[in-house]
This record gives sequence, C-alpha cells and structure tokens, in this order.
Amino acid sequence: MLDLLAQTGLNAIYAASYISLIAVGLVLIFGVMGVINFAHGELYMAGAYSVVFLYTDWQLPFFIAVAAGLIFVGFLGLAMERALFRPLRDNPLGGLVASIGFLMILQALAVMGFGVRMENIPPVTQYVIEFSDRVRLPLARLYVIIAAVVLLSMLWVFLKKTRFGWALRAAAQDPEAAALQGISINQTARIAMFIGAGLAGIAGALTAPLVSVNPHMGHSVIVTAFIVIIVGGVGSLEGAIVASVAYAFVHTFVTTFFDGVIADITGLSLMLLVLIVKPTGLFGSADRA
Amino acid sequence: MLSKIMKSGLTRRTFLQSTAAAAAASSMPRVALAADKVIKIGFLAPLTGPVAAWGKPGLDGCEIWAERVNAAGGIKLADGDYQVEFVGYDNEYDPAKARTGATKLIREDGVSFIMMLGGDTWPGVQPVADKTGMLFSTLLPSDLSPDTTTLIAPAEVHPIYNVTGVEWLAENKPELKTAVMCAQDDALGLPSVATYLAAFEAAGIEMLDDPLLFDPATTDFAPVVTKLISGNPDIVCLDTCYSDYVHPIAEQLFQQGFKGQIISCTADFYDQMIAKTSEEFMEGFIFQFPDFDDAALNSDQINFADPNGFYAEFNKRFPGQWGAVSWEYASIMDLWKAAAEKAGSAEPDAVAAAMKEGGTGKHAFGDAKWWGTELFGIDNALVGDWPVVAIEGGKATIKEFRSIPAWYDKHGDLLVKHMKAYDQMWDQRG
Repeated sequence: MLDLLAQTGLNAIYAASYISLIAVGLVLIFGVMGVINFAHGELYMAGAYSVVFLYTDWQLPFFIAVAAGLIFVGFLGLAMERALFRPLRDNPLGGLVASIGFLMILQALAVMGFGVRMENIPPVTQYVIEFSDRVRLPLARLYVIIAAVVLLSMLWVFLKKTRFGWALRAAAQDPEAAALQGISINQTARIAMFIGAGLAGIAGALTAPLVSVNPHMGHSVIVTAFIVIIVGGVGSLEGAIVASVAYAFVHTFVTTFFDGVIADITGLSLMLLVLIVKPTGLFGSADRA
Repeated sequence: MLSKIMKSGLTRRTFLQSTAAAAAASSMPRVALAADKVIKIGFLAPLTGPVAAWGKPGLDGCEIWAERVNAAGGIKLADGDYQVEFVGYDNEYDPAKARTGATKLIREDGVSFIMMLGGDTWPGVQPVADKTGMLFSTLLPSDLSPDTTTLIAPAEVHPIYNVTGVEWLAENKPELKTAVMCAQDDALGLPSVATYLAAFEAAGIEMLDDPLLFDPATTDFAPVVTKLISGNPDIVCLDTCYSDYVHPIAEQLFQQGFKGQIISCTADFYDQMIAKTSEEFMEGFIFQFPDFDDAALNSDQINFADPNGFYAEFNKRFPGQWGAVSWEYASIMDLWKAAAEKAGSAEPDAVAAAMKEGGTGKHAFGDAKWWGTELFGIDNALVGDWPVVAIEGGKATIKEFRSIPAWYDKHGDLLVKHMKAYDQMWDQRG
C-alpha cells in the first residue's frame, strides 16, 4: 500500500508540474491583459510540435528543441498580442472570440503541416529511477518536474525583484494608474504574452514525448487549466500554482483509487465547491473576478 | 509541410512524371476511356481528430481498391460498366457533423452506398438513413438494432471477435490466471469491456478489479497504469482503446515495470510502441489485426484479393500508416461490388438483398454468415473466423484463425449477461 501511495504521489507531482506551467501562463496573460486566451491549449500544442519538427524530424538534441519551442511559442504569443489582443484591448469579449478563431487557425496549420495522426516521438531517455520495485520515476518525467520548479521560481523572482516584474504587477493591478506612472502598457502586455505563451510552449515541448501529440491535444489541457485558475482565483499566480497542485493530487489519487471518470467529476465538483464558498477563488480578488 | 509531402514518397521526379501523365491523359479523346459512367461511394468517417486512425487509413485503402477495380474494368452492372469513385467526408467523430455529411453525400454527391466507422456518430446519421433508405455500413455492429434495417456490419463484429484472443491465451498460456482491464468510457470502449469480461469468465481467468474507465480526454496515463498493476495481475487488457491511448499506456506499463501479458483489441503502429519500450517487452503482445503481408493470409479460405500486394502498395504510398482499418473498408467494397454485380444494380435495396441472399457471405477472413439477432436484434452482422495476432520478434504474426460463432454457441449467455450489465444490448442503448 505504501508503494502505491508513493507511486501515486510521484504521478501527482508530475501532473502538478505541467498543469501549473500551463495555468500560470494563462493567468499571467489574463492578469495583465484582461483577456481569456482560449488559444492557450493550442500554444501548448505548438510547443509539442516544435519538438516533433526539431527533435523528431530534424533530429536536433531534445533540449535544444525544447528551448526553441519556448522561444517560438513566445514569439507566437507576441504575434497574438500585436495582431489580435492590442486592437481589441477595450473589448475583452472581442479578444476572447479572436483567441477562439486563432486556436482554430493553429489547429488547421498543425493538420496541414503534420497530418491528423498522433506523432511518433522517440523517447528522450528510457532511464527510470527505481525507488523500489513498485515506485519508479522515469527520467523524462523528472525533467518536467525540474523545469516547472526552476521556471516558476525564476518567474517569481522576475515578478518580485525586477523593475519589469514590478511594472507587470502594476499593470495587472491597475492599468490606468500604471500608465500614468509612465509604464508602457504595450510593453507589459508584450512581456506577459511572451512569458505566458512561452510557459505553455515549454510545457508542450517537455511533455511531447510523454503524451499523444496531435493537432487537437490542446483541448483537454485548456479545460484543466480553466478549472485550475477558477479554483485558484482568476488573475492569481499563487492561486494557480496552489490549485494546480491541489487539482493534480485530487485527480491523480481519485483516478488511482476509484477511476478516471470519477476523478473528472471530483475535479469539477471541487471547482463548484470553491465557486459556492469563495466565488473569487482561493487567492482571487473581487476586482479580477 | 514540404518535408512531410516528400517523406510520403512524392519525389520531384515523381511529381513531374505524374503531372505529365495527367496532362497527357486529359488531352486524350473521351472515347479512349474504358467507362465514362461513375458510381460514387461515400466515405463518412473521422479523417481528423483522435479517432482519425480508424478512418483515414481506410480511405487510403479504398483509393487503392478503386484503382485496382477500375483498372480491371470497373463494376459491371446490367446497364454497363462503371468506374468507382470515393467521396470522403470528415465527420470528426461528431454525430452532428456525421448527419450533415450523410445528407451532403446523398443529396449533393449522389452516392450509392456510404461506409462509416459508426459508434458515437451513428445516432446522428440514423434519421438520414431512415428517411432516405440509403445503405450504410459500420465497423461497429453495436450500432445495429431492429430499427437499423439499412445498416450492415460486414467487415468486423467489433467487439465480439475479441473473445478469440482471450480464448487463445487461455489455451496456450494456461499459467495466466488473473487480469485487469482499462477502457475509455465511450461507445467503443464499453461494449468491448463487456465482451472481454465474458471472454475472461469463459476462460476461467479471474478479474482482480472492476474495469478501470477513463475519460477520453485523458492525456497522462500514469495514474491509470499505477492502479492497473497495483494488484500484480498476470494480464493487462487494453480493451478497444484508441491508438492514442494504447501507445502511452503501453509505455507506462513498461516504465512502471510491468512484466506480464498484454492483450488489446488493436496495436496500430506497433513498431512505434516497440521503439518506445523494447522488443522484449512487446514480445507476445496479443491483438486482433494482422499485417496483410502475413503468409497465413494466402490460404484458400481468405476472400481478400492479393492481400500481400495490397499491403505492399499501401506501405509504398503511405509508409508507416498501416493500421487496423487499412483493409477493412476495402473488404466491405469487395462485398458490395459482388452484390451490386449480382443484382445488376447499385440501388441500395437491390444490393442489400443480393448481399444477404442465402444468409451467408464471403468475409475477408473466410466464408461467414449473417448473424446477430440475439445481440443486435437483427441479422446484419457478417460473422465467421477472426485471426489472433501476436507480436513475435518485433513483427505481427497470425497465430490462428478462430471461429466467433463457435465461441458464441458455447458462451453466448455470458456475453449477453455482461452486455446487459453494461447496458449495451440493442434494447438498452439510448
């Protein structure tokens, strides 16, 4: 039983890692720009296809493909900010609709470029860390955990300790007041979009060898990310991380001890419970909710 | 994208040759063509999305079939010879899109017959079938009911043939005593769960736990696999999971140290699974869909023309794309063509009557009978022998052909019992 609990715990830590990378990016974009980016799942998909293109097709080293995925998807985010969200800055509903349109475009591009079938990505490593016969952690999953811890720590330092980070937080709290202080709203929007999209991209790139990569893979992660940011509090980075961990542990343990369908119902029930008890989410403020 | 096109086998030289040939053909006088009359066949299946692996390779196989038939003179009906042409429609495994597609194929394209994967999409199409009387085929006889008089399941009796794999395991590996199973919670997964439960019970293999159902949107299968192997089962059964699930589940089984037997309905693109695990791990993996270069398919009982040549041509055109359905839709077209030529007409009623005449038909894996009243409420499934396939030395190998009706005669009550428990009998499906 202890082995089962330990293995399930490791599974949950991995799930919390990639979910938090995606959810934090989504929250950052919403916090600074006030846009619900429905195409965030497709940015995750674009990161995965970066690995397909560079690692599988061009046979570049995996971590170069992952880094390229982060940068590529980050620039994709910049393009979205410039072409879609900036012209619709005063129209949040318009931004949402534009992001839905963009997700369809990204899916269609993936179908045209790579086909409809799931991609075959060779394993990065088959090395497995064996804690016991029944408690194992594949190295490829450890990479995701390490990347999430490092990147989210770096983001925390960036937001709390740097002038750009302060500007970002100021723009998130009150864009007009921030603009009056000389903070460029366009600049902060660009930074938020690059980081937010880049986090989704690197999550997709790192997990690409571990999941089924296909043009529609963004759908399931965006649903999970929305549940997480609603539970954590829309606009709260800390909330997104805490909710990612909570959701991942609840979902993983319920899947293991009951089944996956009950786990989905439990996850949604958790979201409803939070909405009833604290409609702004665990860490959310009434302003953003 | 260009690299993908080139990878698919289209070289610059081939492109230029094809273009030149097409230009030459288009400049030839019309009288030079063997037949100007065309019969259109609808192909209404998921061509994109997670279920596309059970649609797109089937359409690819049909295109090869059509070229072969057209080159041999086409379909010979009472009023002359017809070329055959497929019209594809991507239903994305969505019932509403399937309904739109069926209407479009019938009204705008004038097709004479529509092939489907079926499953979740059939309820969307059934009103169109009822209204128009169009003949449809499904790969999933669980779509059949007494109301579906124009729906036939002539290629595979999914999931009933899965019993043959379990029966073979029980006879050839009697040391395997316990099993667990997982499946996606949908119209493909649930009837298959009931079938495997019946097969394991008939074989005296104990289920250690209830089947573990997961949401089709699942992406991380580590928790599923952790639960599956927590009781040290001898057999892990992957039910009729889509290949998007079979691959990551197999990889997780490998990474979490499972060393027992795996059985699955399909193992599409198993070479990729071997690459992600190991040849040793995949050795003995049992499933139900052979590669068509298997020597066992050259026996006299097989009713599929030149299976080895078909497989070679498919792999030449679509390298690495061969899957469970690559041959199935083409084999349905063999039946349809024979029936249409027998009837002398492509009219749906006439073809259906000719196809079912005498209650028997020539299934790809041997002569078979129209069957299904007890399970489906209608005898519209063509059932006979089905192969049990094992991966040996990294290659799919047919171990044996086994009779589905023979198993059903002995254990049919068990199958009905489990189908009822999962609300999968024709009178239970809503």
